[in-house]
This record gives sequence, structure tokens and C-alpha cells, in this order.
Amino acid sequence: MKLVAESGLWSTGPLVAPSPLVAVLEVSGAVMSWTIDGEPAAAAITFTDVGRADWLWRVLGESGHSALATAVNGHAPDDAQTVEVNGVDVIPGSVDQLRRLAMGHWMQRWWPASHRDGIVGLDAALLDAEIALLTAAAEDFFADDTFDSDVAGLLAPHAEELNALVRGGDPRVVELVRAAAELTDDVGLELAQPVVGSRRRDDYALAAGAQRERQNSAAIARGTASVAWAGVPPRIFDAAEDTITWVVDVADCVANVAVAVALSYDHSAGGIPVRLRSGEVSGAGVLDDHGHARFPLTTGQRQPLSESAAWNHDWQVTTIAVGADVDESPQTRARVRDFARARLSAPASDAFLAEILAAESDY
Amino acid sequence: MTTGAASDTAIAVTRPRQAVIDGAWRAIGPGVEVLSGDDGGPLRRTVKRIIDPLVLRLRSNTHFSAPFVDADVAAAMHDAIVGNVAALRATAAWFDVLKRERRRLRITTGNAQELYFPVCFELAVTRGEPSRDDHEAATAVLRDIHADRDRTAIEVLNRFVDDEQVIEALAQQLDRSWRDVRAGTAITGPFLSGLTAVLGAAESHRDAAARQRVWTALIADATPYNLGAKARDTAADLPWSIAALGLSSVEPQEPPPIIGGSPGDRPLNRSVVDRVRATLRRALDRDELPDVPLLCAEEVDRSCAPWGLLAEDNQATLIAGIEVSVDLAPLSDATPRYQLSRMIQARLRKEAYVMRARRYLSEGGPVHPRQQQVIDDLAAFTRPYLSRLWARLHGRDVWQEPCDDVDDVRSLLEGVARSVSLDHRQRIKAMLQVTG
Repeated sequence: MKLVAESGLWSTGPLVAPSPLVAVLEVSGAVMSWTIDGEPAAAAITFTDVGRADWLWRVLGESGHSALATAVNGHAPDDAQTVEVNGVDVIPGSVDQLRRLAMGHWMQRWWPASHRDGIVGLDAALLDAEIALLTAAAEDFFADDTFDSDVAGLLAPHAEELNALVRGGDPRVVELVRAAAELTDDVGLELAQPVVGSRRRDDYALAAGAQRERQNSAAIARGTASVAWAGVPPRIFDAAEDTITWVVDVADCVANVAVAVALSYDHSAGGIPVRLRSGEVSGAGVLDDHGHARFPLTTGQRQPLSESAAWNHDWQVTTIAVGADVDESPQTRARVRDFARARLSAPASDAFLAEILAAESDY
Repeated sequence: MTTGAASDTAIAVTRPRQAVIDGAWRAIGPGVEVLSGDDGGPLRRTVKRIIDPLVLRLRSNTHFSAPFVDADVAAAMHDAIVGNVAALRATAAWFDVLKRERRRLRITTGNAQELYFPVCFELAVTRGEPSRDDHEAATAVLRDIHADRDRTAIEVLNRFVDDEQVIEALAQQLDRSWRDVRAGTAITGPFLSGLTAVLGAAESHRDAAARQRVWTALIADATPYNLGAKARDTAADLPWSIAALGLSSVEPQEPPPIIGGSPGDRPLNRSVVDRVRATLRRALDRDELPDVPLLCAEEVDRSCAPWGLLAEDNQATLIAGIEVSVDLAPLSDATPRYQLSRMIQARLRKEAYVMRARRYLSEGGPVHPRQQQVIDDLAAFTRPYLSRLWARLHGRDVWQEPCDDVDDVRSLLEGVARSVSLDHRQRIKAMLQVTG
């Protein structure tokens, strides 16, 4: 095994992939990452603190653990340093469960649910329940409180949902939730009593979505754009391409743009910023709950864009950004959708129950 | 540059201590399932609450606490664990009893393993296996554990400070003590340059020994005291602003009130009674609850001492913490001055990467405007960092736990960063979960 200095930390090798394609897990003293559609055994391990990674013998063997600790002892991971730890490698299978855990977290954050593309969403409560079980089973890797070791925190928001799921009666679901409930007893948290008449939220339903803008004869320009996933929170927007439609028109002699973004799930898009740039022309607004915004456009001199200037402007190169400014390629998103479709069409042996149920509902 | 590992030599003779514990545990065989994970190894808490403190007794057997142990020590650890097999089986049986009793009494507060494991071992050693009629003992144990001892002590404190004369006497004491502290005229340069060694790298045993010697010299240096004393001078020429560091809301520092205040008070503005209250809250695990009037009198002197800390090593550690923290900024690419802060910063950067990989942050900042406040807090990392470090040092000061071991100090400085970062990240995450 060769360790390289990566941004001041020892690492088994950098994993270069955009965020939507990376599944990570933070354990004591290390961060492990995998590319979602890459080789399962190819874990990239970055040590935040080798001394706290007291589980390392489970992954490298006892002598491997000693050898690695000795090799980095006294070596600061500065610049382009490397350390060769001879004859040491990850024991096959030793990180499989950790990868599965990382994948669960990934699904919770990046699963590309889309009504337009026909990619069914995953039940958040069920996914977290299974993540909680995996976390508890991997407790050897979480010596101290880490970002990923909070079992109670995973279950606490879903008590009502999980009870509703149990009442649905699917034996696989009942078994999973029961097992998770056992955990909550151990962590000092009780599942809420079933609430009579509570209805299970349908995660698959498409919320309001982008209403078709009426073909306005006064439209000066129109176009579509795509949401960069890494710039917005999950479970709000439909994960298809070209879900943003924009139309420039004129009201009170000033050019405005109306933006509508297709939503997914039932979370509000309210408060998320949206910006238009087209050469010198720009404007910024904020989406409402339904993913709509309308805001005035200005020129390079920060003057309102007049009707005649709007007609004379070349709108060919217009960009619309929703959320934070991030550089994300459509190919990255396509790869994620391919991955999700493949998982749904033929659930993997390590599929989560939420995936299996989604696949079953997708006929 | 490649450093070939000349490391293979040490491999055969040392074993990771967790592996030794795991192996010994598996040798025990059946009867300890409730203390074991699904794979048959001991639970984390079994190690933390039973094996380490009560079976291996790390406090007295310090050689058992090394991360890697040689064959002799490994054998001794193995024997200690396997030699306690009867007590461990009885511990498991007691835990069963206590858990059933917990359910019957409908207790849900606290973590059962965390709270009951030590007491189960104690019961196992003193009474052996639980018998049929031991369920009363279990009830008594649970009542005792959940009796909220800290609240009892805090009530004693509240009654004590309810007396105006008591407050008046403490106020007079504070007035005298505050005037007793005066800055000396020694220069601060040597101390601050000594910190470069303490917060620097040690590549060999010799370096490590030298680093310890420097620290030993630094805690005998008057600089931390003088800087703390200057912080209350109008003409203060401190290297930092105590207001910007978040240690005090006013500059220069003023004497704290005896009583009153609010939870948001900066460390050096907290009232004496609030400081004592914090001590009592943290005293949960202590066997002997201290005498409240004595604690209050001592706290008056402590709050008048430079930096609100009596011990020189704690004052020096706070200065080291200030120097480390002013360089930390998880979301920036800044390169800190010291090796230790560079390492901490590298970890914080990696933790920020995890946040991006989980879609809790974008490259440059929040993924939702709602998170902006927490992001701004991250830019002022030094404030929560020093707040937490001060609280830890205050605890050490009260219980007279030394800060004279340089590795201990460094690991304290690292640990505070870890817990502040975790706290921040949980807040960033929570900010997203408030979705409509």
C-alpha cells in the first residue's frame, strides 16, 4: 500500500470525481470514499488522524495496522510526500459493509428522483432506518462521536413515518422497522405510538412542478436550463435535465424574466436564489415554494433593461443558475441517472429495501 | 520524494491493543452476548466502560493503554480479561436484569449501556451472579443512577447564593483578589517563539523529548500570566483582541459579577455562580461532590486570576489554543503558521469535503440561504473554539488536572477542534432539515 500526502493528510490515493458520483463515510480518524459506479473494493481512505483509526487492523490485518502506523509516525504529510508500506493491503471484503453504509448515505442525498425521467424516489424513513441498522452494526469503526455515528439522530425524525410504514403490513418493512426500533430502545429513544389516521406521505408523487408557461405573445425570448444538483439541497427539484424554463417579457416598459423550475417530492423550493446572466444583462430573484420566480433584468450599467434594448439583445447565450454557483457537467448527472436506473431495473444483492420497494412500484 | 518504509522491522512484535482485546473477548466464549456485537467482539461501550477502566484498569496500568503493545503486554492483557470471565458473565447477567427493570420502570433517559455497564460490573464483583430476588437491588440501582445528582448539588448552590450576605462577602473577596493581579514587565517574545516548537512537528524521539522540555519551560514562564493581567488594562498591548477572540465581550476585561448573567455570556464575562454551576454539572461522574461554599470562594479567586484560570499550565495552554485557533478557517485555503494548526486545518478541510459530498454545502458556501448564519460562524472558528477550550481548561483547573504533558496538551487542542467542527456540521445539517 502506498500512502500519498493529499492536502496535508495521508491518503491511499485521491479519488477524483465530482460530488454527485462520490459516496463517503466518515469513521474515526478517516474518511472513506468510493465512486458509486466504480469498483466496490476500490476504497480511497484518507486519514484525518491515524492514531484514532483504532479499527484499522480489521481492514489491514494486525501487522498491516502496525506497519502503517509505524510508517507514518513522525512523517508529516506535507507537499508531495509518499510512504510505501510494503506488503500491506486492504483485506478483501473488510470494507464491504462500510461501502454499503456510504451508499445508503449517498442515496439519501443524491438519488436522482424524477417524474420526468421516470426515476422513482426512495422512501427517506425506510432508508434511514436501514442506514441506522448498518451504523449500529459498524460501531467498531466509530470510536468517538463522528458525523456518521449518530444512530438516534437518523431515526428521531422518522418516528411517525416508521409507524405508518409498519401499519402498511409488508413483512420486509415490518421486520426492518422492528429491528430499528430495537436500536432506538438501546439509544434511549422510543418510537412514537402509531397515530390513528396518519397517512403515509407519497414520496413518488410529483408536487406542483413547473406549470407550463402560457405561450405569451409578448415573449421576447425563452429557453430552458438545468439545475446543478451540487448547488441545491436534495429532495426538492426534479432531477431531469432542462427542468428550468425561462421567459423574458415586458411589463411597465421594463424587461422581466419569469422562471419556473420543476419540483419533485414535497419539499418547498422557497428561498432558493435564482440568477440570469446573458452577456451584459443580468438579474436575480428568489424561488417561491412552487419553484417560481419573476424578477426584473438590468443592463451592465445596472439600469433597468428597457423594452427596446430587450428586443435588440442577443439571448442566444443565456445562463440560469438555481442555488449556489457550481460547475457541474450534464455528463455527471447522466451517469448518476444511469446508475440509478440500473439499480432499479436489477436490484443489486446489497440493495436497500427502499430501493427494492421503489423498483417494485416502478412497473 | 519517496520515503521507503524502513518500518517492517517493528511489525512482528507489536499488536494493536483493540485487536488484543477483541481476541481475548472471543476467548471468553458464551454468556456475554449482551456485551458483544453481532460479530462476537465486545461492544465499543463494553471496552470503554468496563474493559478499559475496570478490568485492565488503565489508570494504574498505563502500559495497557498504548495503541500498540508487545507480546508480553498483550499476554498480560489477555490474561486480565480472560481471568475476569466469571465477573464478566455476571456483568452480562446483571445488565439483563437492569435492562428489564429499566423497561418495567419505563425509564428512557440516557443510554442504558453507557449508564449501567460500570455499575453492573461493580454488582458482579460484589454480589456475583444475580439471583431471583435481586430485582429489588436492580430497582435501587436504577433509582440511584437516575436520581439527578447534579440537580441536587445545584439546588444546594442556589440556596447558598440566595443569601445576600453571602453574595456581599464574595463580592468583597472578588474586589480584593482582582486588585492582586498585576502584569509583570517580562517580555513575551521568548514564550511565543517557544510555542513554535510546542506546536511544531517532532520527527523523532529526540524531537519529542525536546518538545516536552520546551513546554515544561513555557509553563514556568510568566508570559501567560502577564498577558492575562494585561487584558484588564486600559493600555493593553496584547497580540490579539480578547473581544475578537470571543473570550470577553468588553475590552479591557472587567471583573465578572458574582451572580446573574445569561447563557450567551463570553467565558471571561460569566458570573462566578454560573462558573460554579458549570462545575457542578460536569461533576456528574465524580464520587465526592465538593463543598459548595468552598467551591464558590475558590471560584472567586479563579475568576480573578489571569484568563480565569489559576494554574500556570492551564493559562499557557489557553495561549497555545489562541495561537492555534486564530489560524483555523474550515472553508478557506489559508495555511496556518504552526504544524499542529496546519494538521487541524487539513482535517477541517476534509470534513468540509464530506459536507460537500453529502450535499450539505456547495463549493463556496451554503446550498440554502437558511444555512448562512452557520457558515458565517465557521469563518469565525476561533470564537467557539476558544469558548470550548476555556470550558475544558476551567474543568481541569477546578479538578487540578495538570496540563504539563505536551502530547496531552496537543491532543486537547486537537480534540476541541474536532468537537467544535462536529457541532458546526450538525448545525449545518439541521438547517437543511427544516424544510417546508
